[in-house]
Amino acid sequence: MEFDGAFELENTTVEEVWLALSDPVLIRDSLPGCEFLIEVDDGDVDFEEQKAAAAERDAEPTGDPEVIAQRAFEEGKRYAALIEVSVGSVNPQFQTTVTIDSREFPEMSASGEGEASGSSFELSSGMELEETENGVTVEWWASTEVFGRIAQMGQRMINPVANRVVKRFFERIQERLEELTLQTDGAESMVDEESDSQGLSQRIRDKIGI
Amino acid sequence: MSIETIEAEEIDVEEVLGSAIERREDPELVTGEGVYTDDVQDPELAHMAVLRSQYGHAEIDGIDTSEAEAMDGVIGVYTAEDIDEAGTPGDLPVGWLLPDLKTPSHPILAGDRARYQGDGVAVVVAEERYLAHDALDRIDVDYERLDAVVDPKAAVEADAPQLHDWSEDPTDTDVRDDEDIERVPPNQAFDWEIGDSEATDEAFENAAHTVEVDLENQRLIPNAMEPRATVAEYKPGTGEVEVQMTSQNPHLHRQLMSAVLDVPEHKLHIVAPEVGGGFGSKIHHYPDEALTCWCAMQLERPVKWQATRSETYLTDAHGRDHVTHAELAMDDAGTITGMRVTTYAGMGAYLSTFAPSIPTYLYGTLLSGQYDIPAIHCNVIGSFTNGAPVDAYRGAGRPEALYVVERLVTLGAREMGMDPAAFRRQNFIPEDDFPHETPVAVVYDSGDYEPALDAALEMVEYEELRERQAELREEDRYLGIGFSSYIEACGLAPSELAGQLGAQAGLWESGLVRVHPSGTVTAFCGTSGHGQGHETTYAQIVSDELGVPYEDIEIVEGDTDEIPQGMGTYGSRSAAVGGSALATSSQKVVDKARTIAAHLLETGEEDLEFENGEFNVAGAPERSMTIQEVAQQAYLAHNIPEGVEPGLEETSFYDPENFTFPFGTHVAVVEVDPESGEIEFHQYAAVDDVGNQINPKIVEGQIHGGIAQGIGQALYEGAVYDDNGTLLTGSMQDYAVPKAEHVPNMETDATVTPAPHNPLGVKGVGEAGTIASPQAVVNAVTDALQPFDIDHIDMPLTEEKVWRAVNGSEEGS
Repeated sequence: MEFDGAFELENTTVEEVWLALSDPVLIRDSLPGCEFLIEVDDGDVDFEEQKAAAAERDAEPTGDPEVIAQRAFEEGKRYAALIEVSVGSVNPQFQTTVTIDSREFPEMSASGEGEASGSSFELSSGMELEETENGVTVEWWASTEVFGRIAQMGQRMINPVANRVVKRFFERIQERLEELTLQTDGAESMVDEESDSQGLSQRIRDKIGI
Repeated sequence: MSIETIEAEEIDVEEVLGSAIERREDPELVTGEGVYTDDVQDPELAHMAVLRSQYGHAEIDGIDTSEAEAMDGVIGVYTAEDIDEAGTPGDLPVGWLLPDLKTPSHPILAGDRARYQGDGVAVVVAEERYLAHDALDRIDVDYERLDAVVDPKAAVEADAPQLHDWSEDPTDTDVRDDEDIERVPPNQAFDWEIGDSEATDEAFENAAHTVEVDLENQRLIPNAMEPRATVAEYKPGTGEVEVQMTSQNPHLHRQLMSAVLDVPEHKLHIVAPEVGGGFGSKIHHYPDEALTCWCAMQLERPVKWQATRSETYLTDAHGRDHVTHAELAMDDAGTITGMRVTTYAGMGAYLSTFAPSIPTYLYGTLLSGQYDIPAIHCNVIGSFTNGAPVDAYRGAGRPEALYVVERLVTLGAREMGMDPAAFRRQNFIPEDDFPHETPVAVVYDSGDYEPALDAALEMVEYEELRERQAELREEDRYLGIGFSSYIEACGLAPSELAGQLGAQAGLWESGLVRVHPSGTVTAFCGTSGHGQGHETTYAQIVSDELGVPYEDIEIVEGDTDEIPQGMGTYGSRSAAVGGSALATSSQKVVDKARTIAAHLLETGEEDLEFENGEFNVAGAPERSMTIQEVAQQAYLAHNIPEGVEPGLEETSFYDPENFTFPFGTHVAVVEVDPESGEIEFHQYAAVDDVGNQINPKIVEGQIHGGIAQGIGQALYEGAVYDDNGTLLTGSMQDYAVPKAEHVPNMETDATVTPAPHNPLGVKGVGEAGTIASPQAVVNAVTDALQPFDIDHIDMPLTEEKVWRAVNGSEEGS
C-alpha cells in the first residue's frame, strides 16, 4: 500500500524541524503507541532486553542542539521500537526495526519491518522538508506491505488508521516544536539578547553539521 | 407465482411423488433442536486451534512452541515434526488424476514452507476454546517471506516464484528424468486439452465472422452458513476413532482419512450431524479434520475443532479462478461453426481433493452448451498460486463453461446484427437430434431447448420489452435484456467412464430400504444432505415405490456405520443417483414381497398386480395383501416360499449410464444508470427443465438459491489477494455475499423432459440456478450499455467498474 501526504508546521524553520525529526527521543514521544525507540546493532533484537535498556537510559526531550546532535539518527544505523497500533478490534504490538537509509538535509529516508502476533509489516518511507511563508512543509511518503490478521481487514481499516497515526504524529511534533522553541529561546536570551531564530538556525546547522 | 406447500398428512400415496410437501426437516432446524457438530458436548472435551501462516508464501526456519506449552490449560502443541515423529502419513491425497498432473505433497501441517495465507503451521489443544486461540499467539514462528504469485496466468510465466520444488516430489520421477523438464513452466499443474484442434482451426480459417473475448471468472469464497468443524474421540480399548464432522460425504472422508491417519477404514466411524450448507466446500478432505482426529488419538481425549468465519475465508476451498480467451466462428448466415477456448485455471497452493477435474472434465465438456457446434477445442492450463486451494463450488466447472458459451453467443449475435434470442434459436441442437454427441466428448441423452426459450420470452413479454428498451433510450435510460440458455451436466457417471478420465473413486450410490415387521420403513442412502431436503424427497420416492404412507418412512443419511457405502452429496447427484438407488432398492423389495405374496395368495407372481402398496390377484380383487402384511409374514417366516430368506430389506448400488443434462433459459432485465454505474433489476425470469420433479417446492427453492448465488458472482463477490498472497477480502465486511435486498423477485417456470436412463426421470437441480444466472446478468448489463459500445465487463459488475466502463477509464474494457 502506498501512502503520502504533506504536513504544515507553523512558526518554525526547516532547521528546527530537521533537528526535531533527527531526535529519537522526540520521535518516541510523538509517535502514538511508541513505547521505546533505541539504537541497536545488526542481528536479532531482543525486545525485552531493549525495553529494559531504554528504561534505564531515561532520555529526556530537549531543544538543545548539542544534546540532540549526540543522539541524532545516523545514516546506516538501525533502531528498534515497540509500537502498539489499534486496528479495529485488535491492538497488535509491533516489534519494529528501522534502518536509516539516507539522511541528507533536508531529506531523510528509512526502511524497516515490524512483527506482532499474527500480523506484520514491511515499510520504506521518506520525507523532505521545505520552507514556506508560515513555516515548514513536510512532504512524506510511505510504501508498506501488510501481512496477516491486520491485512485481512483490508484497506478499509488500514487507511484510516495510518492517516490517524500520521496526523497525530505531526500534531505532536508541532506541539513539541513550540515547547522547545520557548525553552531554547529562554536559554539563548541568557547568552545573547539579540538572538533571533536566524541565529538559532545557524547554531543548529553548526551543531548537527548540516 | 410461488408454489404452495402441502402438509404431509394430507398426502395420499397415489400423489406423493411430485407433490410440494413441506420439508419435514425444517421444524427441528428452525426451532434450534438440530444438533450441529459444535453442539456436540462431552465433559472430557478438549479444544484445538490452528496457527495459520500469516504470509502467502514463506520459508519456515523454526517454530518455538515452548511459551505456548507452558501456559496453564494448554494440553499439547504440535507441529509438522510431531506428525512426522508419530509416523503418521499426514499427506492429503488427490482424488482425480490427469495425464502428467503434478501432485506435490500436501501435508496436514506445513513443514519447512507455507504456501498460502492460512496454511496450517501448528496446532494447540487446550482445556478451553479461547485459551487454545490465545496460546496460538505465544507460538513464535521464524518466517522468511518469499515472493508470491496469485494470478493463474502469471503463475506459469518463466520468472514466477515457484511454489513446489518438483525435484523433491517423489511422485514426479517421470518428469524429473525427462530432459524436457526445462520447458515445463514453474507452477504448471497440468496442460490439458479436449476437442479437435485441427478441425477447430480450420473452422476459424473458413469463418465468415468471428468474435472473441478475454474474460475472468473470478475466485469465489463459498460461505456455507456453518463453518467447518470436527469432534473426534479415540477409544484406546478398541482402536476406534469416532468422528462427527461437517461433511457432504462421510464415507469418502472415511476412506481418505483412513489413509492420511493410517487408521483402518473399519475403525473409523464418521457421522455428519446436521450440516449447515456446503456448496461443495464440505466435500473435500482438508488438513483440519484429520488434525483433530490425530490430536484425539495422541491425547486419548475427545477433541473439538470449530473454524472461525475468518478461517473459513482463508481455508475453505475457493471456487472458479479462471482467466480465459475465447473465440467463436460463424458462417455468413450466423450459424456457429467453431469455438476455441484457452483457460488458465488457478489451483491455489495445493491440489484439493477433486480439484483437477473441475476446470477440465467438468468444464471443457460443457462448452457446446445448447448449440450444434461442429468443432470445439479447449486448452486448460492449471497453475499453482499462493492462494487457498480451489475445488468444486456450486456448479464446479459448469458455470465457468456456460459463462464462456453464453458470453460468446451474445457477442456472436451482436456481430451478426441478430436478435440474441433468434441467434440462439438458430443454433440450438434440434429436438429430433437427441441423443446428441458434442465435439467435447459427451452425449446429451435428451433435450428440447426451444420450449424453454419460448416460455421465457413469453414471461418477459419480449417484443414489447424491446420496444420499451428503444423508447427508454430516447430518454437516456438504459434498459438491458440478457439471455442465458444453459446446459448442465449432473450426476457425474458412469463409474467406468469416470475411471478412464482419472477419477480415483466410483460414482455410484448405495441405497438400503428396510421394511420393518410392522410395515413402517427406514431407508438409508449414501448421499449426505446438508440443507437440500433429502429426508422429504427420498421419503416421497420410497413412498411412491412401496405404496407405504409417506409418514411411515424414515430416511437416514450421513453415518458410515449405518449406511452400506456412499459417495455423498455434490454435483446435483442426490436425486438422480441416490434417489435412483433408493427407487431400485424399493423395486427389489417389491419383487421379494411379490414372491412371498404370491406364495401366500396361492397364485403365480405374474398374476399379481401391485398398486398403492397392495398386491391383488388379477381378476380377483378380494384376494389381496398389503405390503405391510407381507412384511409381517416375511419376518415371522412361518410360511415363506422355499429358497426365500426371511426379512424384507434390499440394498442396491446404482451406477448411472450417463450424466443427466438439465437445461433452460434465464432472462435478466436490468436498468443501468451510466452516471452512477448502478444496476437495477426490472425482472428475472427462469425456465428450467430438470426432468421430473419429486417436490416442486424444493425445486423452486434450489432455483431461487442458485440464482441468488449466481447474481452474487455477477454483481458482488470476488476473492482478492494482493501481490504477496494476502487475502484482502477476508471477512463479510470485505466480501459481499448478496443480502435479500440485492436479489430480485424471480419468476420461475419449468418444462419437463424426463431423463431417459434413470428410473425416476429426474435430472438434478442443485446447481442449475448458479450455472445459469451470472451470464444472464452480464449479458443484460452489456445489452443496456450497447449505446456506449461496451461488449464486456468482468465480474463482479460493481458500480465502479460499470461507471469506469461507461466513462472510458482504463480500468474498464
